[in-house]
Amino acid sequence: MAKEVVFAGFGGQGVLTAGYMFAEILLKVGFNLTYMPAYGAEMRGGAANCTVKFGDGKIGSPLMKDVNLLVAMNGPATDAFEKLVVPGGTMLVNSDIVDRKIFRSDITVVPIPFNTLAREEGNDRGANIVMLGAVVKYTGITDVETAADIMRGYFDEKGKSKYNDANTRTLHRGYES
Amino acid sequence: MSETVLMKGNEAVAEAALRAGLDFYAAYPITPQTEILEYLSKKMPELGRVCVQADSEITAINMIMGAAYTGKRVLTSSAGPGISLKQEGLSYCAANDLPVVYVDVQRGGNGLANMGSCQTEYKREVTGGGNGDYHAIILAPASVQETADMVSLAYELAEKYRNIVGIMTEATIGQLVEPVTFKEAVDPASLPVPSWAKTGKMISSSDEPIKPRIKDAKPKADRAKYFQMKEEVQMWESTNVDDADYVVFAFGAPSRVVYDALLILREEGQKIGMIRPQTLWPYPEKALEELKEDVKGLISLETNCTGQMLPDVALARDLHFKDRHVPVYSCAYIVLDRIPTVMQVVDDIKAIISGQTEEAY
Repeated sequence: MAKEVVFAGFGGQGVLTAGYMFAEILLKVGFNLTYMPAYGAEMRGGAANCTVKFGDGKIGSPLMKDVNLLVAMNGPATDAFEKLVVPGGTMLVNSDIVDRKIFRSDITVVPIPFNTLAREEGNDRGANIVMLGAVVKYTGITDVETAADIMRGYFDEKGKSKYNDANTRTLHRGYES
Repeated sequence: MSETVLMKGNEAVAEAALRAGLDFYAAYPITPQTEILEYLSKKMPELGRVCVQADSEITAINMIMGAAYTGKRVLTSSAGPGISLKQEGLSYCAANDLPVVYVDVQRGGNGLANMGSCQTEYKREVTGGGNGDYHAIILAPASVQETADMVSLAYELAEKYRNIVGIMTEATIGQLVEPVTFKEAVDPASLPVPSWAKTGKMISSSDEPIKPRIKDAKPKADRAKYFQMKEEVQMWESTNVDDADYVVFAFGAPSRVVYDALLILREEGQKIGMIRPQTLWPYPEKALEELKEDVKGLISLETNCTGQMLPDVALARDLHFKDRHVPVYSCAYIVLDRIPTVMQVVDDIKAIISGQTEEAY
């Protein structure tokens, strides 16, 4: 069966970009995948999420169903999607924003200060890269060096190579979280 | 073949069309298909080809008609009411046997409709759409790769039969990102100029006319052509049908939900199969030859509330099962503008198996 990762938060937090970069890494390391975004008309502030499914075989529905790994970047996302995590699954919660301390007991909950870790690397807008590093770690799809290589390639193509050093450090912080 | 890349369904339409030798594109923006226009507006000028954001859908289809007369590969795209506006033009294209390709990324509902992932345009597309007496070949992809593959197929079919070909997708397929591998690019200048194409030279009596000059020849030729396409163009993909007690007919995005539902039902010992029509016109009636003789029922599953595909499943049933009655059931959904969940489909199929759902035909 395909594994399912959901990135959820406000528009502007980088959940769609983090999910897309994760999809790029999956493609380059040889998985089949689907990436399904869901967002409102707003560029910033509305609810945004994406579902990435991956595996070796055919993938049926690309829509959110049984979440193996949830990245919840704010309170509403935590409240909305915690119930969709499969028993034994994992939820990474943005401890910079989410106040709630009590979660389901049948899933693993990992508080990660996504914004703080990015800021500490001088990469204020790099919370999405922290997410990416953490998701690479908790899915175990590849090692952090391979992921960093593919991420740099993604930014090279976008003409944003000048951020590669900061982004690489930020990715490692996410991977170590 | 090119390198495998990630792309949205809508972008894959545009890239595949460029690689197939698309020379003239005209359209008016409408969600959920605007990425096609956006993508082509960047790429076509770079390649020295023509991309026009027309002032309306009607202008766009009439531009397409004019460009198609020259024998070039053309494309227009829209959604919901935008395709409705193009129907007069499409009917004219059918009248003149023009090999026009269009893409409809469906919207949900009536009138302006919404941006939900729905299949509320089936009925219009498979009946030809405009006034008159014609059919467009309608292709319905269920993945980004299939979307790309069907674009090049659309040009081949359009030119082979000199017929309109529509690619009907929906919001989920248009916005979904998946790995896709494209065919090698074709240079439009290398494509042969059809004998009927208007090249701007003086018309002489030896030119092949666009329309046959003899009054009755066109309807006779059309009738023969539509029967020929019906015989030759049917396409479908089947999953676990050979031992299936019930067979679900589903296309596009909902077929992927059904695929997951079938895995769950199989684990519970229920023998359910699926036929996924890849052509909606001609409807893949021949697919029923794969069914076992004592199949208990057929299910038309679609995301519209009236069951637009249902009569086609019933007709296919009548054609195949002449000696006994096989019930046809309808699972038709518009669920908060989204495609149904896997568990909802599982429950609805179980309700049919257990006799709680009345047959529709």
